[in-house]
Amino acid sequence: MKLSRVLVVVGLLLVSMLAPTVKAQSDTLIIASGTDIENTNIHLVTSSPSFSVLEHIYETLFSMTPEGELEPLLAESIEATADNVYVIKLKEGIRFTDGTPFNAEAVKANLDYMLDPENGSAFRFLLVVGGEPAQVEVLDEFTIQITTKFPFAPLPAHLAHGAYAMVSPAALAQGRDFLASNAVGTGPFVLSEWKRDEEVILTRNDDYWGEKPALETVIFKVVKESGARLVEIQSGTVDVAVRVPPADIPMLEADPNIEIMITPGLRTIYIFFNVTEEPFTDVRVRQAVNYAVDVQAIVDNLFEGAALVSRAPFAPTIFGYAEQEPYARDLERARALLAEAGIAEGTTVTLYHPTGRYIQDALVADAVRAQLREVGLNVELQTLEWPQYVPQVRRPKPENDIQFAMLGWGVPTMDADYALFALFHSSEFPPGFNGAFYSNPEVDALLEKGRSTLDPEERRAAYAEAIRIIWEDAPWLFLYSEIQVTAVRKNVEGFIVHPDESLIATFASKR
Amino acid sequence: MTKFILRRLLLAIPTLLGVSFLVFASIRLVPGGPAVALAGELATPQMIEQLNRELGLDQPLLIQYVNYLGRMLRFDLGRSIRSGLPVVEEIQTRLPRTLLLAVVSLAVSSVLGITIGVTAATRPNSLFDGGSMIFALLGVSMPIFWSGLMLMIFFAVLLPQWLTSIGFPTGPILPPTGSGTWQHLVMPVTALAANSMAIQARMTRATMLEVLRQDYIRTARAKGQKERIVIYVHALRNAMLPIVTIIGLQFGTLLGGAVLTETVFSWPGIGRLLVDTISFRDYPVIQGTVLTISIGFVLTNLAVDVLYAYLDPRIKYS
Repeated sequence: MKLSRVLVVVGLLLVSMLAPTVKAQSDTLIIASGTDIENTNIHLVTSSPSFSVLEHIYETLFSMTPEGELEPLLAESIEATADNVYVIKLKEGIRFTDGTPFNAEAVKANLDYMLDPENGSAFRFLLVVGGEPAQVEVLDEFTIQITTKFPFAPLPAHLAHGAYAMVSPAALAQGRDFLASNAVGTGPFVLSEWKRDEEVILTRNDDYWGEKPALETVIFKVVKESGARLVEIQSGTVDVAVRVPPADIPMLEADPNIEIMITPGLRTIYIFFNVTEEPFTDVRVRQAVNYAVDVQAIVDNLFEGAALVSRAPFAPTIFGYAEQEPYARDLERARALLAEAGIAEGTTVTLYHPTGRYIQDALVADAVRAQLREVGLNVELQTLEWPQYVPQVRRPKPENDIQFAMLGWGVPTMDADYALFALFHSSEFPPGFNGAFYSNPEVDALLEKGRSTLDPEERRAAYAEAIRIIWEDAPWLFLYSEIQVTAVRKNVEGFIVHPDESLIATFASKR
Repeated sequence: MTKFILRRLLLAIPTLLGVSFLVFASIRLVPGGPAVALAGELATPQMIEQLNRELGLDQPLLIQYVNYLGRMLRFDLGRSIRSGLPVVEEIQTRLPRTLLLAVVSLAVSSVLGITIGVTAATRPNSLFDGGSMIFALLGVSMPIFWSGLMLMIFFAVLLPQWLTSIGFPTGPILPPTGSGTWQHLVMPVTALAANSMAIQARMTRATMLEVLRQDYIRTARAKGQKERIVIYVHALRNAMLPIVTIIGLQFGTLLGGAVLTETVFSWPGIGRLLVDTISFRDYPVIQGTVLTISIGFVLTNLAVDVLYAYLDPRIKYS
């Protein structure tokens, strides 16, 4: 008996000696990500995992810090020479990793690529103001000028979006096929290898113009299954694991080698009321629903607390955020408001919602259904898969007879204009994104002021007022914004999870 | 025999055409197109229209299909909508991985499964028989996403912890996910083989029991043949037909990618590609992948038929 046990141990030891050194090395950081990149063309990808990887290779003119501050990156400064004319000075002496110099011509080539509808970038609209693409001109070797149809304050924030990163013009000229699997930028890392569905390997750019990273190699490893990501981080075969299921947070917190990072996200989940369809034409009904639904309970029970109850129509780190008093659950008040509005007990309303698109989406819809029953509203659920769902909820009038529907809205530019204009301005009715058909001239005026005024304080004030009115008009059932839960090994320092879902390894090091 | 194989290969063409048309038509019947899936919340009607035009999705279905066939003749399966890469390339990078996993796990499971089945059949109702059939039942019943995770936790977390605690500090014994070295193969193969082995063992046991009761076995024993020869040469060969059929089917299924295994162990195979692209409505990749899988099925079936003739000389193809 004893001998066999010894044999087992010896056998296992032999196996462990045969096993490769799967433990990560000290100059290599391995990130277990849930999804592979789409391809390496940063102008055309759309998913945050793609941007996360490619933003180590490519850089934008401006960048948004995790705290929501706009900083110049490849740009030196920006100045408005007229209300709608912006002059951007570029940093000098920077080269792409293929040796091509970074200059105004390079910027123009990239912006033109983005603005050419033939190329089909999903983020082209960020530089299309009032239906007209921005005009880009080269003033001298390191100065460019951008002219928009009308004054457009969010411009630098839009240029901070990953899709507007700078690709070597020589690489751009090689065309789409080349760009889909090659990456030539100015960033702190270069693309070393992309094994599809497996991993992306980045190595340090030793000629980087800025402060060089401490890490030699960063690997984004695709581990789809969340349980497998947890095994990887616990066994130390990876240093970072993304998208930790909330239910597993306590288990990882108990592990002395692992730290849990909680980062607010930029995506807010909401249910909009179609204010042109009964019974939600009446503001009292909309408010009643807000009073009847206990969002905190949804967050606690379906998200283990890993979501933020909305106190504005968008998430806290975004510029222009103005906190409101949430509609705390008050069934008496909800019933009274419904009675005042003449809504009979047992009135049936239909809630559209997607399934599998947002975390717990179908369960949230069901929770809303159950809670509204308590105030006498009978909710029928229309559950649809995402590709089928979007065309449904974005039908224009008069076909659109949706009463209320769930959606999410991410704000990658971290600016209130992106968060509010498309959703609440009366020019944005479906097929635009104002699915509520919400129209309030006061809000329209404030949103227009916010996008045309350059002074940040004036903008902030305009948005605060707009948010206050929207909150009272309640064209939405305000729900929650998402939170990112990331597990990091304790020997890793300086790793950043950005609210825009980017994972930044540039400043990380390992002990 | 050559003639038979050639005829079967020719017959495969209409089969594959049928499959390709069914896939082609059915994915287009599913509501929601690639443009919406691609651009998410941001898809504008103009973008959808433009994308549909670019992809030729604005044309009548039949014309689209004829164009597709025309390109297929030139081995051009189009381009992935999601990644922009040629479909042929997308499949090329994954197919060898899927083949590797399928061949190794089927080899392991066949050797073990048939041996266990034969041994159980020769000792019916013994302890070994009962034990191995319970084991087989477990193998069939354990879902792979569960057994896979359990294997991972054992080899990458629990075992190293225990070894470290008794004074042999070590990292993970086996890498939990990924591919590339033989160590990466161990866990996915174990998980997959446990499943197919169980079915093979039960099948072998059943057919062997039947064959062993036949007259010619009694004759073989009566003329003093060694028991080993009786079982492995006389009996097993005749019992092999249904077993080969099962293995052929299993291989065909594995070629379609062991989706769950590939997902749990992050194995970059063809099944995962298919599932990922279905949710993206990536028509060209879906079509190309299903076509590849069907070709695999047709070839496997052919191989099984040829094996029949080899195993049972009474079967002749003309």
